Parts: sequence; structure tokens; C-alpha cells
Amino acid sequence: MKTYETYLLDRAKVEGAHQLATYKKLGGYKGLEKTLKSGLTPAAVVDEMKKSGLRGRGGAGFSTGMKWSFMPDITKDPRTRYLAINADESEPGTCKDRVLMEGDPHGVIEGSLIAAYAIRASAVYIYVRGEYRLSHDRIAAAVKEARAANLVGKNILGSDYSCEVFMHKGAGAYICGEETGLMESLEGKRGHPRQKPPFPAQSGLWNSPTTVNNVETVFNAPFIVERGAAWHAAIGTQNSKGNFLVCISGHVNKPGVYELPFGVTAQEILEEKAGGVWKGRKLKAWFPGGSSCALLLGRDVDVVLDHDSLRTRGSSLGTAAMVMMDDHTSMARVMEVIARFYEHESCGQCSQCREGTQWLSQIFHRIAHGLGQDDDIATLEALAKGMAPAKTICALSDAAAIPTLSAIKLFKDELTQCIRDGRDPLGIPAPKYATVGAH
Amino acid sequence: MALPKPLTAEFDELVKNYPERRAALIVALHRCQEELGGWISPQTMEDLAEYFALEPVEVFGVASFYPMFNLRPVGRHVVSVCHNISCDLRGAQDVIAKACEVTGAPLGGTSKDGKWTVKHVECQGACANAPMFDLDGVYHEDLTIEKVAKILGAVR
Amino acid sequence: MVAIRWEFRPQSTPPWERTELVKITVNGRVVDADPKLPLIRACHDNDVDVPMYCYHPGLSAVGSCRICQVEVKQGDTPGRVMVACRTTPVEGMIVDTESSKAHETRRECLEFLLKNHPLDCPICDKAGECDLQDYAYDEGQSTGRSNEPRRPLEKRKSLGEVIVLDEERCILCSRCVRFFEEVPKKAQLTIRDLGSRSMVSTFMDRPLTGNYQGNIADLCPVGALTLKNFRFQARVWNLVKMASTCVECSRGCSIQVETLRNSDVKRFRPRANLKVNGHWMCDVGRFAVEHANADGRLEGARVLEGVQMLQTPIEDGLCVVRDALMASKGALFVLSPFCTVEEGRALQELAKRHQADIAFVSPAPNALKDDLLHTGDPCPNRRGLTDLGIVGDSPANLLKRLAASKVAVIAGERVVELLGTSGVKDLPSTLALFAFECHPVESKSLRAEIGIANHVERIGTIVNVNGERGPLAAAKPAPRSVRALTRHLEDLARLSPKKETATR
Repeated sequence: MKTYETYLLDRAKVEGAHQLATYKKLGGYKGLEKTLKSGLTPAAVVDEMKKSGLRGRGGAGFSTGMKWSFMPDITKDPRTRYLAINADESEPGTCKDRVLMEGDPHGVIEGSLIAAYAIRASAVYIYVRGEYRLSHDRIAAAVKEARAANLVGKNILGSDYSCEVFMHKGAGAYICGEETGLMESLEGKRGHPRQKPPFPAQSGLWNSPTTVNNVETVFNAPFIVERGAAWHAAIGTQNSKGNFLVCISGHVNKPGVYELPFGVTAQEILEEKAGGVWKGRKLKAWFPGGSSCALLLGRDVDVVLDHDSLRTRGSSLGTAAMVMMDDHTSMARVMEVIARFYEHESCGQCSQCREGTQWLSQIFHRIAHGLGQDDDIATLEALAKGMAPAKTICALSDAAAIPTLSAIKLFKDELTQCIRDGRDPLGIPAPKYATVGAH
Repeated sequence: MALPKPLTAEFDELVKNYPERRAALIVALHRCQEELGGWISPQTMEDLAEYFALEPVEVFGVASFYPMFNLRPVGRHVVSVCHNISCDLRGAQDVIAKACEVTGAPLGGTSKDGKWTVKHVECQGACANAPMFDLDGVYHEDLTIEKVAKILGAVR
Repeated sequence: MVAIRWEFRPQSTPPWERTELVKITVNGRVVDADPKLPLIRACHDNDVDVPMYCYHPGLSAVGSCRICQVEVKQGDTPGRVMVACRTTPVEGMIVDTESSKAHETRRECLEFLLKNHPLDCPICDKAGECDLQDYAYDEGQSTGRSNEPRRPLEKRKSLGEVIVLDEERCILCSRCVRFFEEVPKKAQLTIRDLGSRSMVSTFMDRPLTGNYQGNIADLCPVGALTLKNFRFQARVWNLVKMASTCVECSRGCSIQVETLRNSDVKRFRPRANLKVNGHWMCDVGRFAVEHANADGRLEGARVLEGVQMLQTPIEDGLCVVRDALMASKGALFVLSPFCTVEEGRALQELAKRHQADIAFVSPAPNALKDDLLHTGDPCPNRRGLTDLGIVGDSPANLLKRLAASKVAVIAGERVVELLGTSGVKDLPSTLALFAFECHPVESKSLRAEIGIANHVERIGTIVNVNGERGPLAAAKPAPRSVRALTRHLEDLARLSPKKETATR
């Protein structure tokens, strides 16, 4: 791997960087200052973000500048606008936002304020998943410090721009990481995703124009404003710009969160950052971007970890959460865990998702426990095709179907043998605890 | 209304953060669970309904949606073990087994002496430090069987 | 394509009320669509039946069941399958509800719904009017491929006095939840838990309350919510359904009367009428079925002989009435407010011919009035009779007037009950009272009584509080020798004067 510039995790690595004094000493809030005091209009900030090529880091990879530009024209639509920061990080394998929130909460705030300015929001709601207590408390304390220093609230840094920052909590539902599910939850209701259209920019929180952005996405904003879009666009590949955070977990020697530029291959990350597959074993399969993307084989680690390269390879970048599985792994067991996760997290609105996630989970459970039946694989395929694409209100149904279809495509023989033999081909014992279904 | 005054005073400030009062419901549920015995009782739901001008059945619908809210009493200490993929790949099943053994609580239930509840939960965002559990709101990561025994054994 | 149940099909917005319609193509036909209403309404209003579970024209649209998916093309984009209940009609939209893609998506959706749904049809009240049965039949979903056990849940959960919930049958369309939130505007149900564990629930098993509970049994597309008093009462395909009007208050909700072939009325259900009752009816009206089936009917005619009332041929009974009227001056006609416009008119003419006074019983409003449908006025045809020029008078006054009269005719269903049974009983024998009623009358003053058909046994028109006319249907055969009041009055008018009768 070539040497590369880092910026995302630099402050988080410094002890005490979560406090305002240290944050400022490390160069913090310069981005916000430039945004508010150097004559940059909101439209100019949006433009800069578009030119930078920044793509959302919450899993969908949508152009951030483009998303911000969807907010209506303020002269035609004077409704109050909101920015919601999606800190409900719950994608299996993903733990990167937590590092930023715990280690660099002021960076999250600064990024949020720049984003809020760009979309002319008057309030930011930071929706932190309920389990991330330290993250929530660190950001809350940082907001308090920032407010005292005229960085949050009325006339920030003496400018015309006023913006409030409020903390909010989730309570353990993955579906509240879906942007419309998040908005429903923020409004104090069950986290049922909404039909789109209307899109959040037209009718979001409390029927007002809203933008929802991931933590890491807005975290990039101060750097882009400070150093310029051209600087950001020069890093990375043709379709994926800048540095990004990768979580690598599972059967590796050094699991962790690493900052890398787009353009590195999965193999480079695996070998040079994560110390390679553990116990001297070989890589059998892996998820490149959390569990909602297609599985890839061990030999696919040569793929460049960026949006388009992964799509070409048949998967997607998602949250850049690499989950690595060695050659002692039972794929039936892996799919049992994955399918059970989606069954647990489905909100239950759509018929295909509510019933389908349970059905997938039941079938994989039987296969993993030696109770598979001959028509199971055909049924799995039919179910997954009925659940995707775009047949439901939100993409959780797709997220359950995609890994299922990839498991069948790549490991049909193993699954078939598992069914036929009534046990796992690698002789791996069935798990001690039945962890099927409900909480 | 049976909600203690300090809580309602907190909520009075909290609702100011939102254009509609109801938005504070989930944070209010968290606070009630923290202050009122670790669970959300039917009485608490009725009290919250009164506070937020909702029907109790609406509060129930919201509270039952979110896995973090306990709608039944729990032990004095709650161990939530992640059993999702990154943790499973690194021995979450053994952690669950050990936690149940040390605490005497069945998985998903409470020990007879009322001291422990052991739950399994989905991805907690500690994947790079798997396996893990959350003990009374604090993450314990990079667990081994020995660490599990040590951490839980040290709880009075 | 299976038809949407006709009782739920809303009346289309009349052309003069619609604004800015757009032209869309549905199954090859160019039709007008109101962009303020979802695409599914444009389809239904033009006789293109798109299946629906969570959508209901009287409630908000959520788009969760996914069964109403149709293929939509807009401009150059290739056809996409979208839920019709959450799609806004746009000029030039091309909709195909019968394409193979649309069918395939619906069939898949049905397979998912049938996976956990119990095979209860043989014992389920909803069979025969069940949307799950009908759409499954239509889409050809006759076998299931699930090897999994169905989720076991509570099958006879009482939700109070009116409704019983079978959790296993529920397909989580959330119509019942939304109904209470949006119509009586007080939430009573929710969906508890999430995903595959979600289920309709009350709070802590509290029973449902209010006067509109029965509507959720109509709304439920499957047999999850059923009426306790209809449980196992009849198979719906044996019920003959006729459009009628409720008579329990002056709202006159449009209803359908469902009668078990040539036997009793088994239930009343609302008909969609956007001008009167929307899609709903109240429980007072719904459960008034017992009035329709009441025993102890007055059959034929009975005439006072000495001290006893004896059965006589109807013609003889009518003669007695005619004789008394012809011999009298200043008789009093007291009508029940249940009399139809036709009956009111006929009685008015009869009263005029005999220079008699005419009034209808107008009791005080009752406490059943609510914000939604029930007007609190127990007179179903007050407006109809008033418009004819017949004046209403209080029961107390009318009893006084009756006591002071020499000859009086009281006519109409429930007239004795509304006047007050004890008051009628105590009317003096100086009065010659003639009654046209459904049930035998007890009174010292009674000279003759003739049985009449009730509100489910004869046709007629009643007019509601706002002037809307509603029909009554002869849904059930009247008991032997019981005829409609209008028939008696026609016969009475045709009787020649002073006919010699053998019995007198």
C-alpha cells in the first residue's frame, strides 16, 4: 500500500480530543469559521460538497452534495428545516461512527453545523443509538461546551446564522437507521419507515424539509470546506473520493477501524492493516460492507474497495464493514445468524418482509441444525426473489434477500451437502444455544 | 400522576427541544426505565400517556417496538450479549454459555435470586473488539471465557 | 379479477365536485383520475378492481400490505410495479393492473401472507367474504410450499363485549388500529412488538369501548376480528343481502340487511354512503337485529268481542276500523315516527277524508347522541313526516289527547313503545282505539288491532335528519297474514261503506 495522508482519525487518536480546548488546539472549528465568516453562501457550500465527490457513508453511497441540493428553494418554501444526524449505527460489522463520536465529538458537531448551514436548517437532531451511551454523553458534553463558546445556538461565531443542536436517543431498533424510520422514531412513534415519495427534503420531520446524514459523512464537511473540494477529489478513485473508515472484523488477527483512501484493495486492508486471516487459515468468504450486501469469496479480496468496483464484482460498499470468515466457517451457520438478524429487525409493515424474514430465518435455522429439507434451497431462492428488489416500503427486505441469494449462488454445494447429510460438511457442531427469532 | 417530580421536571425541559411534545417520548421512556426499576411498567405507560396527552395503548405500541425497553421486570443487573455475525465468528456462543452459567440466569430470563438477567442482542457496534457484552450500560469487549467469569463474578 | 365487495365500494365523487382531473390510461382505457386521490381510487371508480388489504377508502393509506401493486409506466421509464394506494395519478400515466409482473408480485405477496395464516376456513365466520380467500383464489395460490410450523397465538381473545380477536388470522393490515385513531378519534388498539412478532393488541387487555366497535369486524379483511354475536350464526353465502336504511336514529345510515334464506335477519352492515355515514354505522344500529326478528308478532287482525280480543279475518278487522271512522268526528291519528313517507301520506289522506287530526310521536332525544353518527333522536323518519306537514308531539301530550278522544288510530312500528306501554294500557274505555302495530297492544280502549310489517319486511322511504332519502327493503318475509301498513290502508280505502259482515 502506498503511503497516504490521514485526517479523519487523527484527532480521535489524541487523548482528550473530545474536549473543546484540545479540539481547537488541534485545528478544530476552522472549517466552521471559514463557512460562516468568509462569505460562503449555503449554495456555495453545497456546490463545494458536490465538487468534492463525497458520497454518503451510511450505506447507500449517495452523493452528499446532491442530497443537500434536494432541499427546496428557501424563497419559495419558507418552512423550518431540519438536519438529522444518523448516529444509529447498527449494520452488523460496523463500528466506525462510534470511534468518531467517542473520540472526536466536536468533529461531529462541526460537520453537522456546516451541513446545517448548507441546507439552511435551524436545528440539528443527533439521533444516537440507545446502546452508545458513551458516544451520546460525549457529544452532549461537547454540545454544552460548544454552546458556551458561541459555536451552537444564536448567531454562531457572531454571524447571522443560528442553529440549535439537540441530542436524541434510539432504543435498539436497527430499522431506525433507515432515514424515514429514523424520522418516525424521532417524532416519538414506532420506527416504521415511510413511503417515498414524499422524500424527506419535501416532507421529513414534522412535515418539514429534512436532510438525514450519516455521522461519518458530515464529519468530512469541515475538511472539505477548509482544504477545498479539489483536494478531496484528488484522493481516491474515479467514483469514490477521499478517505473513508473501514471496520474489519471476524477471523482476522487485528480487527479494528482503519482510515484508508479509496483505491486500496481489500487484500491490502486484510494483510497490511488487519494482520491477515487468523490462526494461519485461509479466507473462505467475506462481507465487504456489512451484512446487507452480497457475500464474496476469499479470492475476491483483490477487488478495489470502492463503490463501483464492488458493484462490478456483484456486491456493494455499504458501510465498508468487512466481516471475514475463515475456511473453518459453516456458511449455513453464518446465514442462520444473518437471517435471524433481519427477522428480529423487520418493522413488520410489509407482508413480504415480515413473513419473508421469518421464513428465511426458519429455513436457515433448520439447515444449520441438520434439519434441512430437499426443497429448502429452491424455496430460499424463490423467497429472496419475492422480497426484492424494491417491492417494499424500505430496503430491509432487499437487505435480507441479497446475502441469501449470494449464499446460494456461491455456496450451493455446501448448503446442499449440509441438507443431505443432516449436518455441517465441515463437521462444525451446531451452536449450543438456539438463538432463533424473538427478543 | 405517579411519575416522580424530578422526572417530570426533566421532561418539561426536554419537550422544549422539539416542535411537538410527543417527540420526547422515547427519551422519556429511557429515563423512566433508568429511574423506575429497570423496566417500563403498565403504570409507567399510563403516566407517560397522561403526560404526553396520548392514550396508554399508543405508549404501549411505542414501548413494545424497541428492544431496549423491558416491559417485564428484570434482574438488578442486565447482561446483554451480542450474538450477531462478528461476535458469533469470535465465540459469542461461548460467552453466552458462560454468562448464563456464572449468573444462573436462563438466556432471555432472570436468575431465581433476581440478581441477573441475561439477554442476547443484535450488533452493538463493537465488532472490531468482538465478542462483547453490555453490562448495565457499559461495554465489555475483547472477551474471553475467563474475562466473562471475572467481570461478572466481580459484580456485587 | 375479483370484485371489490360492493358494500365497500365508495360512491365516486360526482363530476361537478371534482377539480383538475388528469387523464391516465388504465388497462388500455383512458380515464379521468383525481390527483388528490390515490391511483387505487381511480382504478376502483372506473371498475378496475385492484385488490387491497391495508388500504380502505375511509381511512388513511399506509401502503404496507403491498397487495395493491400494479405496473405503472411514466413517460419513457420502463414499467415499475408500485403500490396503487400510495401512487398519485399523473397526467399520461399508463397503468396495467393485469400484467404478468403485477400478477407475479401479487402472487408472491399472497404466498407470504398465507405462510402463517391458519387453515381455518371451515370454521371461520369470514369465509365467503374473505379478501384473503378471494385474492388467493384469483391469483391461483392453491398450494403452499412452507415447511415451517405456523406461529401459534391466541385464537379467541376477547376484546370486550362486541369483538373477538383471532391473532393467528391477523395479516397486520392495521386497518383496525387506524380506524379508532381516525374515526372515533380515540386510539384503542395498537400493534405491539415488531416484525414477525407484531400483533394487534389493546392496552393490558382492556376491553374496547364506544359505539363504533362493530366497524372493525367489517374492516378486517380476514376473520381475525369477528363479531361475538355473529359467531357461527350463518354462512355468508346463505345470506340474502338487500340495501336498506337503519331506523335506530334519524341519521338513517345506509345499511344492508342480511337475511338467512327465508328465515331471520342475521346482521346489519353499513353500506358506503359518503353523504350520510361514510363507511360506518354505530353499534346501536348494528345490533338492533333483535328488533327485526322479535317474536310475539301480531298476526292478522283481532277484534274486541265482549271482553276478549278474538282473531278475525283481516277484512273484518278493517271494516270495524272503517265503521268507527265513518261514525266519528274529530278522530285522532297517532303515527309512529317509524312510518315511511308512503305510509305517512296514506294516513294523511285517510285522516283528511275523515276530518281527523294527525300527529306523530316525538319522544325526547336520548343520551346516545355522539360526535359521529348517532343523532340521539330515536325518530328515523321525523324529517319525512314533518316535510309532509305532519306535526310531532310529545308522548305525554299525545296520551292526553288520546284520552280525550272518542276514536283514535295508532299506526306504525313501535308506536306503543314510544307512547309508553303503560300509558297506552291505561287509556280509558271511552276511547275507541284502533291499532296497526307489530306486536299485540294491551289497552282498555282497544277495539281492534291489525298486524303490520316491520322495517325489514316492507319497502318504503324514510328521510334522515339532513333530508337524505333512504330506502327500506323487504329483506325478510313477514309472518303469516302480516301485511304492510300501506296494503291495509289501500284495502281500507277500497272497502265499500257499511259492508254487511257475518261476524258483527
